[in-house]
Amino acid sequence: MPTVEISHISKSFGSTRAVDDVSFRVEKGEIFGLLGPNGAGKTTTIRIILDIFKPDSGQVSVLDGSLDETKKNRIGYLPEERGLYKDQKLETVLLYLGTLKGMEMSAANERLGEWLHRFDLYQHRHKKVQELSRGMQQKAQIIATLLHEPDLIIVDEPFLGLDPVNTRLIKEIIEEQRFAGRTIIMSTHQMYQVEALCNRIVLVNHGRTVLYGEVEQIKRDFAGNAVVIEGQGDFSDLPGVLQTRRENSDWHLALQPGTNPQDVFRALAAREGIKIERFEIAEPSLDDIFISVVKGDDEVEGVDNG
Amino acid sequence: MRNILLVIKHEIRTTIGKRSFWIMTFMFPVLIVALSFGSQLLAEKSFANEEVAGVLRSEAAAITGLVDEAGLILHLPPDVPAKLLQTFPNQASAQIALEANELDRYYLIPEDFRQTGEVILVVSDYSPLANLSSNTLFKYIIDANLIGDDALARLMIDPTPNEVFYPQAVDVQAEDDNGVTSFLVPYTTMMLFFMLISMTGNMMLTSVTKEKENRTMEVLLLSLRPRELMAGKLLGLEIVALLQMSIWLGGGLLAQGGGGQVLRSSLAALTPSFVLWALAYLMFGYLLYASILGALGSLAPTAREGAQFSFLVMLPLFIPLILNTIFVESPNGGLATFLSLFPLSAPTSMVTRLVSDAVPAWQPIVGLVGLAVTTFFFISLAARFFRADTLLSSASLTRQRLLGALLGKENQEGRPSRLR
Repeated sequence: MPTVEISHISKSFGSTRAVDDVSFRVEKGEIFGLLGPNGAGKTTTIRIILDIFKPDSGQVSVLDGSLDETKKNRIGYLPEERGLYKDQKLETVLLYLGTLKGMEMSAANERLGEWLHRFDLYQHRHKKVQELSRGMQQKAQIIATLLHEPDLIIVDEPFLGLDPVNTRLIKEIIEEQRFAGRTIIMSTHQMYQVEALCNRIVLVNHGRTVLYGEVEQIKRDFAGNAVVIEGQGDFSDLPGVLQTRRENSDWHLALQPGTNPQDVFRALAAREGIKIERFEIAEPSLDDIFISVVKGDDEVEGVDNG
Repeated sequence: MRNILLVIKHEIRTTIGKRSFWIMTFMFPVLIVALSFGSQLLAEKSFANEEVAGVLRSEAAAITGLVDEAGLILHLPPDVPAKLLQTFPNQASAQIALEANELDRYYLIPEDFRQTGEVILVVSDYSPLANLSSNTLFKYIIDANLIGDDALARLMIDPTPNEVFYPQAVDVQAEDDNGVTSFLVPYTTMMLFFMLISMTGNMMLTSVTKEKENRTMEVLLLSLRPRELMAGKLLGLEIVALLQMSIWLGGGLLAQGGGGQVLRSSLAALTPSFVLWALAYLMFGYLLYASILGALGSLAPTAREGAQFSFLVMLPLFIPLILNTIFVESPNGGLATFLSLFPLSAPTSMVTRLVSDAVPAWQPIVGLVGLAVTTFFFISLAARFFRADTLLSSASLTRQRLLGALLGKENQEGRPSRLR
């Protein structure tokens, strides 16, 4: 049984359709990426999974069935718009949130000590939250998400505001949770983190599913939709190219769906002042795929994302 | 139930953990006690028989001249210092003294005073306010000389120097306090209840908006049903209100041993039956206003925006405070009775009437039933507002949105999506 299964869910706010017939499954013990540009409907989808919002239509199954109060205590959630009680002591806040998740105070106290030590926050436990740095507050939020050892962890932009050291720490903890058999749904804009961590992803845009499957398979499917060029000259504004970016001495071109790399090559050959030293059909990064799919979808929708 | 208890505990701990709470809890009674003592001192100074001259003396900021052509003033009452009046043989000499700034005014009692009753007051500078100043001192001197009886003349200034106050309210003991208590007790009671209900009610507003502002609401909603959150907050802050009242009552009872007469007679109103009525009205009054302010908090994105509307919400409770004199002068009058039976103003009005006068037994009961029913209605209404889409909304609180929410229409984030 999948840990989360949502089937054809839709949700509107007034005349805005925030989620439109979205379906996906999240298997037990996997890290699943819920991706999409800002305003795509990710947060609404998460809130529907968490029973904060009821869908207008469709089915949601979480931890083998409908979500009830007991099951809610088996979920850890790190929302994108996060915050803690700023005028209260760190320890008090975390214990309150832990006990609200069904933990006994003694157990919460004991486990909190371990987490605080691990995150280097133990000596700050009696400080008010507002006295902590942004990074410390971020780590405290992650403790609040994991303190009650949830079976399903939903993290929205977990690396936001963290330095490279703490980013690595959080990454390790996410992997550690997966090894412990927990299911993780991660929403982030950092595609390299998704590539590094996620088994499968769903990409939503304008409330609809536009891409869904295993990361490796998706990359294979999109091979040919990106080329790498080494050379000199102007490689911008080529027909059928969605985005051109320079990485070191290479040019990375993300192609529109349906554009053949040979067409790009021909266009380059016809352009004046171009010298090509290397032209390679690349395996696209998730970043390229994200841009390719979202921009392509926007063009179909007639939306200008700037 | 466990979650509600956790929220209750958290609200109590959070509130009483604030320094501002304790400052307010202890400062407010200190202010009341200071007011009581101040009033008592004023009362003793102002109304004591032997101090009539003190009042009169206060009028005589400078030496007053007297030209007595009628030969009326043969003596000064013993409580009027002789140096306050400087006599002149004729108007010319008084006028010279006035022009030389030796005095700023003089009275001329013309020869035909006994026929006309006219006295002329000549002042050095014209001041519109001078016309408003009292001539009690001089009238007292004239009366004493006309009647030939100083005590009688004093009574003409203050005909009821020994007024005895017998409060008719149930169980309230009579005290001789020159009428100070009859004003102070109702006023203090009303102020205390207003402060208690508005303070704790506004704590509810702040508590909800803070969780929205600091963005803890979304995490809380995964652990709690919105209505559990509302119930926990309402009950937690109710306990805080009762704690605050207990501290004030306890402090009041302790102060009964000491303090002045006014304070003691004020505290005599704290009879068991009154305390029970007061508790009942406080509990329902708090729940009524806290639920309204909590609903306001659920709609407002920030405490500041919520506070803009909180004055309007508190207005029905504030009106009796503005009209407080009716509760002293006519506690069983039509307006006072209406305000004490009208549920939104009952929490302060009925309790104030109970300490002011004997209230017909049916009225506190009817008032409390009306208040309880209204409270239930507003709690149910507030529960409609306590739902995820309003609690997670950052839309501005406007009159249109407030009205829309009241009518159950779509808010700015969309149609209501009620949780459970």
